[in-house]
Amino acid sequence: MNRAVPFIAVGVIVGAGLCVNDSAGQLRREVNPPVRDTGLDAHETHAAATLLGQFRTSISSWLWLRTDLYLHNGVQMRPLSDAEVRAGVKGLGSHDNEDKKLHDDAKITTVVPASDRDFRGWMGDVERATQAFKDMRNHGHRDPKSALPLFRLMTWIDPQFIPGWTVGAHVLVSGNSPEGLERAVGLLQQGISHNPESVELYGELGHIQAVRWHRFGLALTSLERARQLSLRRPVPEDEDGHDAVRDTYRWLALVHRELGQLGGMYDAAREGAQRMPDDVILRRLANPPPSPLPIARQQAWLKALAETAPPPEH
Amino acid sequence: MNSPAIAVHDLVVHYRNRHGQPIEAVSELSFTVQAGEIVGFLGPNGAGKSSTLKALMGFVEPARGHAEVMGLPAGSIAARKRIGYLPEVAMYYPFLTPRETLRLYGELQGLRGRSLRQEADELLDMVGLGPAAGKQNRHLSKGMLQRVGIAQSLLGSPSVLILDEVTSGLDPVGRRELRDLLRARQRAGTTLFFSSHELAEVEMLCDRILLIDRGKLVEERQIDELKDELRQYAFTFSGQVSMVGLTDQLRSLPGGLTQAYFDDKESLLTGLERVHEASAMLVDVVAQEGSLEDYFVNAIGRAA
Amino acid sequence: MNPRAWVTLAKGVVLESVRRKDLWVVAILGFLIMASAGALGFFGMSGLEAFAKDLAGTVLGGFGTIVAIIISTRLMPDEIRQRTLYPLIARPISRFDLLMGKYLGAVAVTTIAFLILTALVGVSLAMFKVGYEPVMLQYVLVRLMGLSIVCAVGIALSLVMTPNAASTMGFVLAFGSGLIVRALVMAYETSPGPMQPVFRVVNALVPQYGLFDLSGRAANQGWGPAPAWVVGTLILYAVGYSGAMLALGWAKFRRQAV
Repeated sequence: MNRAVPFIAVGVIVGAGLCVNDSAGQLRREVNPPVRDTGLDAHETHAAATLLGQFRTSISSWLWLRTDLYLHNGVQMRPLSDAEVRAGVKGLGSHDNEDKKLHDDAKITTVVPASDRDFRGWMGDVERATQAFKDMRNHGHRDPKSALPLFRLMTWIDPQFIPGWTVGAHVLVSGNSPEGLERAVGLLQQGISHNPESVELYGELGHIQAVRWHRFGLALTSLERARQLSLRRPVPEDEDGHDAVRDTYRWLALVHRELGQLGGMYDAAREGAQRMPDDVILRRLANPPPSPLPIARQQAWLKALAETAPPPEH
Repeated sequence: MNSPAIAVHDLVVHYRNRHGQPIEAVSELSFTVQAGEIVGFLGPNGAGKSSTLKALMGFVEPARGHAEVMGLPAGSIAARKRIGYLPEVAMYYPFLTPRETLRLYGELQGLRGRSLRQEADELLDMVGLGPAAGKQNRHLSKGMLQRVGIAQSLLGSPSVLILDEVTSGLDPVGRRELRDLLRARQRAGTTLFFSSHELAEVEMLCDRILLIDRGKLVEERQIDELKDELRQYAFTFSGQVSMVGLTDQLRSLPGGLTQAYFDDKESLLTGLERVHEASAMLVDVVAQEGSLEDYFVNAIGRAA
Repeated sequence: MNPRAWVTLAKGVVLESVRRKDLWVVAILGFLIMASAGALGFFGMSGLEAFAKDLAGTVLGGFGTIVAIIISTRLMPDEIRQRTLYPLIARPISRFDLLMGKYLGAVAVTTIAFLILTALVGVSLAMFKVGYEPVMLQYVLVRLMGLSIVCAVGIALSLVMTPNAASTMGFVLAFGSGLIVRALVMAYETSPGPMQPVFRVVNALVPQYGLFDLSGRAANQGWGPAPAWVVGTLILYAVGYSGAMLALGWAKFRRQAV
């Protein structure tokens, strides 16, 4: 009996893990009730989801950091410290970092310093030889698509991890292929099914529908939904939440403008500028009248609207 | 003249209490043990016996003085090679068997291979642990663990055995067997130096005793001499016989008998002569062994 | 010095550890890892090779360190507490021999545990057809060198503080030394002049466990093994630092009354 105990323990643990995984799915459906004013998310409203949520949040956050690492092929990067920025130390930059969705390479440097910035002598040389290290000035990245399974893993472990959905969709559309677009939209819609009150997801959906798909009617619907959701609580103070609300208003105003709905553009921009008075773009959109669209372009939008059949509603 | 097996000169051992103040556990202790002797080291609790033995083994460093074993500095590797040691309260690795324990210690003693395996098995048989040689130590009783300890102390046929509370945990049969074993070792030339609270064991086994109290040597006696000194003689007689000048320890018994006690043989013999001259009837003559415990208690009391 | 005594003592440590079923815990951990790897199979491993290897390196390094600390910080205090020390130091061996024997025993047990975990993790990776490269073998060897330093630090700490404090300090140093080194490197350039020598001293004293972690190279593509001079330097560092730790422990232990 004593010899069987370890195997029984392993079996119990594995079985419990499988049961928890199965019941967690049911918990997810139960803990997405209508909006409450307190603004608590699912991780904080149900005891088991809280315990699981904290663990899942930690794992998904850890995966997020690892994704950044893999995109740099294992070279560990870190943001410049305030002291370094004040001292004029420059980030390494990259040649393919036009979109700063993942990180801003102009403000990061390697965790392991280059030899000219390392006081440790031979220890530093050894570390540069044992770690994944190379000169990262103006570096490139691995194809972000290689990280897609990780994004998928993040969202499976923690469906409430919004960056997993948004960045995953961003990666899918980066190739500009029709298949990528379809998959990105499908991914975001799946994320919305787990997070029906997420401003970021509706905002990203609207952004892709507008910019990549040119389906402005759909984009308007998505962005409008994002706007309504954002009105239910104050503008978030965290960078991601704040940017999501800001981008929602910006894209909403621009989509209205593309559709020739100047009134809608002003309303959206003014409301956004009122909520975020520091945003220059929203203030500009809210105030002077925009230049009229060229006639040819107006006709092209109207033709596109008439020809494009909206996909089935999600 | 051969050097003594153990020689201790003005040994001082200090410990520090939890406040960092030195406490003198052994105070200028000096004694010797000749090769082939069996010497008992006695004293009340806290007298300094274990501290002395630890100093001999090098477990503690003396503050002053020095000690030697077989002419070698006490605690040196060369000295320990010739010593077999049984700690007062020792445990042996709980998940090893007695056989594995002896082989481990034997290898550290410098023994190897088949000769080690053979010696380990023989010692285990000698101490009565043959059937239990394959059981893990954690399954053995206290007495059996003490036998493991005795066996490991005999590894390598040491010249000197230093044993702390050697009979602890043993039943009477075990004690008898142990006495026989130790006597056999002595006959083979091994010196024994052991501490014990079992005065009866000391009496039966030792050639000499050292009595220590509060770190100082109180008495040093040959056992035979001590026994003679402690022995009392008595005879019972009927009739009127004067014992004046010989003893005043007279006891009247029923039937007109008198019992007289004498501290020494000469007084006894003189008393017997007087009984014979008086034509009195001699009923019996006995020799009573004195109590070592009384001697111990009295000696400690005098030292206090 | 008595190297034979070291080997004898080390064998005793290994035998006790095996009989005490310490290594069962390691085996259970390994099976849990395999079960978790099975869960990853839902996604297929295509695109997750780097993640899988990285996770394997993290798990091996983390659990290997935990085993090393727990084993090494317990050995000497247990000898004293259980009073198994007396029959040992009554033998004709020096206290240095005793310390070396226990150290080698700790290293042996840690190595066995690490290799068991490595084998089980390796099976998990092989199940998903993750390819093997020479750098992964180098990772295992270099990591073992790092763990030998952990054992030396653990034994030294256990001789100067209580077992619980020694374990805590061991964990702090093992998992915090990387953070300390990072902070030193980050702050050195912008720190005031008088502080810079202090940074150098602290960097020299802190155990450089991070140097023995090749998981970054092993997990990602195209890095290859570290050069031979690096491995040689790591060997020298491991021997030197471990020796210094054991020497400190011996300095305390050699005159300690037991």
